[in-house]
Parts: sequence; C-alpha cells; structure tokens
Amino acid sequence: MPADEKTRYAYKLLLPAAVMMAIVHFLPILWGMIISIMQIDATFVSRWYSAPFVGLENYARLLDFDSTVGSRFWFSLRQTTIFAIGTVVGSYSLGLASAVILDSDFRGSNVARILVLLPWISPAVVVLLVWRMMLLSDTGVVNNVLLSAGIIGEPIVWLIGANSIYSMILVNVWINFPWATIMLYAALKSIPGHLYEAARIDGAGRWGQFRHITLPQLKPISVVISLLLVLWSFINFTVPYVLLGQSPTRSGEVSMLFIYNYAFHNYAFGLGAAMSVVLFLFAMGIALVYYKYAVSGSFEGEGR
Amino acid sequence: MSDWTTTDRDLEDVLVGLAKRFAMALILIFALFPVYWMFVVSLRPREEAVSTNPSLLLDSFYVENYVLMWQRFPLVDYFINSLIIAFATTALALFVASLAAYSFTRFSFAGKGKFGGAILGTQMIPGVLILLPMYLLFINIQTNVGLPMVNTYHGVIFVYTTFAIPFAIWMLRGYFANIPASLEDAARVDGCTRFQALIRIVLPLAAPGIAATGMFVFLTAFNEVLFASVLASSDVTPFAIGIQRFETQTQTYWGQMMAASTVATIPLIAIFVLFQKPIVDGLTSGSVKE
Repeated sequence: MPADEKTRYAYKLLLPAAVMMAIVHFLPILWGMIISIMQIDATFVSRWYSAPFVGLENYARLLDFDSTVGSRFWFSLRQTTIFAIGTVVGSYSLGLASAVILDSDFRGSNVARILVLLPWISPAVVVLLVWRMMLLSDTGVVNNVLLSAGIIGEPIVWLIGANSIYSMILVNVWINFPWATIMLYAALKSIPGHLYEAARIDGAGRWGQFRHITLPQLKPISVVISLLLVLWSFINFTVPYVLLGQSPTRSGEVSMLFIYNYAFHNYAFGLGAAMSVVLFLFAMGIALVYYKYAVSGSFEGEGR
Repeated sequence: MSDWTTTDRDLEDVLVGLAKRFAMALILIFALFPVYWMFVVSLRPREEAVSTNPSLLLDSFYVENYVLMWQRFPLVDYFINSLIIAFATTALALFVASLAAYSFTRFSFAGKGKFGGAILGTQMIPGVLILLPMYLLFINIQTNVGLPMVNTYHGVIFVYTTFAIPFAIWMLRGYFANIPASLEDAARVDGCTRFQALIRIVLPLAAPGIAATGMFVFLTAFNEVLFASVLASSDVTPFAIGIQRFETQTQTYWGQMMAASTVATIPLIAIFVLFQKPIVDGLTSGSVKE
C-alpha cells in the first residue's frame, strides 16, 4: 500500500475521536474565552451572542484583589494549590511504600495487591459520602476512634472551617494512592534483576540499592504519575462538591467549586468563564514548567 | 563469609520482613476500612448509625435499610439512568477510542506529536471552562433548533463519551502496540480489507485491554457530578446526583444511603476481582515500557 494511502487511512481512523474532541474540548475553550470578555447574565442565557462585549473588564475584576470576587478567587486558587500538592505528595509516598512492599512477594501479596486497589475501583461519589459520614465531628467514626485511643482530647471539626482542606487532601489521597501503587508496582517489576545484582556485588545494601537503582529507574513513570495527579487535583470537582456538601466553608472552596457556585448562583457566566480561563492557564503553566524541567525526554516515547 | 555475618543478615531479613508486613497491614486497614464501614452502617438502624459511641464490629443486621431505601425517592430510576448513560458512554467511547488508538500505534503521520499533546492537554482543562459554553450551546440548540439537549440522555452521553476518549486512547495504546502487525498482513493476504482486518483480527486480540479500559470509562461516567448537576436533572438524574438526596435539610438517612452505596459498589468490586488481571495489565501497559 502506498505511503499516502496509508496516511489517509490513519487519518480516517482518527477522525471521529478528533472531531468529538474538537467539539467538546477545544471549541468550548475558544468559546469560553470569547464568553469571558462578554457580560453574560440571566437575560442573555438563551441568546448569548447578543450580550455586550466588555473587553477585559471581567479579568480586571479578578485582578483587583480588593474586590470580593477577586480576593475570593485568588484565595480559592491558593487552596487549590495546597490541595494539589498535598494530594501528589501523599498519594505518591503512600503509593511508593505500598508498591515496594508488594514487590517483595510475601505470602498473600497477590491478595493484598487486589485489596489495595479497592478504593480506586469503588464509585467515587459513594466513597466520598462514606468519608463524609466518617468525618462528622460528633458522630463520625474517625473522631470516635481517635478519642478512645487517646490521640486527641476533643473532637476535631473536619468538614467545616480551616480543616476542610486537609480532609479533602486525606480523602483524595485515599482515592488516588492505589493508582500510584499499581503504576509503580508495574514499573518495579520491569526493572531488570541484573541491575540489583551488580549493585550487590559493588557492596550496596538495601538502602543503597533503593537509592541508586530503584529510584532512578522509577523516574520516568514517577514524572508521569505526579504530573497527572497534580492536574487531576487541580481540576477536581467531585471531591469538594460531594465531601463538603451543600455549604462548603472558605477553606475548602477550591477554584472549581468556587467558579461553579459563583457562576451558576449569580448567573455570572462571563465572569465565571474568565475565572475558568485563568484556572486553565494556571494548570497549563504548571504542565509546561514541568515538561521543561522534569520530563525532558520521557514523553518522547509517547505513541512510539 | 563467616557464620556471624550470615546470622546477622538473616536477622535483618526477618526484621525487615516483619516491618514490611506491619506497614502493609496498616495500609490495608486505611484502604479497606471505609468500604467495610459502608457495609456495617448499611445494616444499622437510624439511631445506631448516628450513635456517638459506635461499635466497630458488624453487630447489627437491620436489613430494612435495603427495603426502605427504594421508597424515599425514585432510586430505581436513578440506577437505571446511570446504567443507560454509563453503558452507552462506554460502548461509544471504546469504539471511537479503539480506532484512534490503533491508528496512533500503527501508523506514523504528520501531526502525530500534536495529537499526542492534545490528548495530554485535555487532562488539564477545568470542567467548568467547558461546562459554561456547553450549557449555553445546549440552551441555544433547544431554543433555536428545537432539539432538546438539557436533561436528555443523548446530551449527557455525547459529553461523557468525549471526555472518556483521551484517557481511553492513552490506555489502549499499550495494548495495540503489543499485537504484531504480521497477523493483519496475513488476514489481508486472505482477502480482508484493512478495516475488516482491524475489526476481525486486531480488536478481538485486544479484547482484554478494551474490557479493562471499558471498566474505567464506565466508572468515570458513573461518578461524574459536575455536568450531571447542570445538564442531567429531572427524568435523567443519575445515581451520583440522586444518592446525595438521602441527606436532607433536616436529617440524613445514613443507613439507607449506605445500603444504596453498597448495592452500587458490590457489582463493581466483584467485576474487578474477577477480571483484575486484564484490568491491571491494561492500566499499566500504556505507560510502563517493557
């Protein structure tokens, strides 16, 4: 088959996916950017195109830290960053620990490997509601266990006030660490045994082998895992929305939740779009910086 | 090597082994306790579910929760809506993503790198950025074209399908790469067209990977709440939104909510335990190079 016919066939197979992604992912981004410079409120919902253009006024309101919406939006962005960093640090460390333990093939490790994945398999909405119940300050089982074990003196308020961001991190780590575990476990299994043998001959102990063989070999996959975890946390809506319930407190109001509540409660679609664009640029900026400094080559193999 | 050193090594091995098991036990308790607790509370009457000093053991068998939960609101409909939406999404997304992933692994063409970048790019788009224009688009199609979009199955399914496609392509890639091209070539010598060879030879061989990917697409569609809360109300309300209604302004029916949660979770866990090998392989083969 001639080369250009092959190429045409390749494009044909890609076409449905490309068209759908264009309609749902990429056109709305452009459209969202247009909306972000318009003043769309309740009166213009069914004829958005006739809403007035206001230039960069929406963005100016966001950049004005003294305005209510501006200060709240930047605060939500700060909380989002804490949420993302907490999630990636927690999920990655716990995932690495579990993967290393599972890799040592003790009796029952096959069963443990299946069980450790259950948090990731269970429906997220369901487990978030279970956590919501467990973290209630008066009747929740978490406080109850901590109190009777003598770890805390009085009940912690988990879901309201300053702690809610940490509760979100705890639960998001719980949901995501199994995924990190299984990715790292697969990567550990693919490290050739002769590397360890050579290190042992050179006199490397347990820690030396881990430090000089395991960690460097895990670097490419670790970069992918941490990048995806950061991005997924940045744009996560389900965790704050379900865990914190109808009236989230400021501390737990990450950007996704704040934009959603603000835009749909006030019918402020223009301003909401402007905030979404800023959030998107933020996430993209992180990915680009990451790509430049950490990835350097490990995505080259994409698509082979 | 002297005996002394050997014993020392042995002791270290035993200690490290014990420490590892202890750590694994703690991790498993952390991972499994919420699932266990869901089941325990689902079998407790109301007053025990909100007790300030609950027993940690499975000591109550109040199965009425599993009967009463259906009567509070149309929970059956929520389940059915979710199944319709999630199954349709899975079927469509797998078909479209399989074609794309196959093309992506088999051929090299101009713009391939860009397409790969676009797939990664979709993972950083905040849902609200898409939701606002999508909402306006749906409203405008309804008023100007007359085709209902908000609160319809096809509207939600179309959006979910597309969301699932990038991750599905990413997962499927690894599977298609492992299928030798020589098998298709042989089929084509026997008179199959290229597309027939893809449908009859490649897709069946990739079936375990496709099934594993399907499970994740299904989960994504089943769990989605952002778009569902705006675009899927009234008659098409899915389980993910509906179940939150056990929590009312005045009180929360935790026992019944946990019973409904258990009913939703057990089939997924069962499927996962039965098919964990292809699922785990499919999850990891896309990203870990052999």
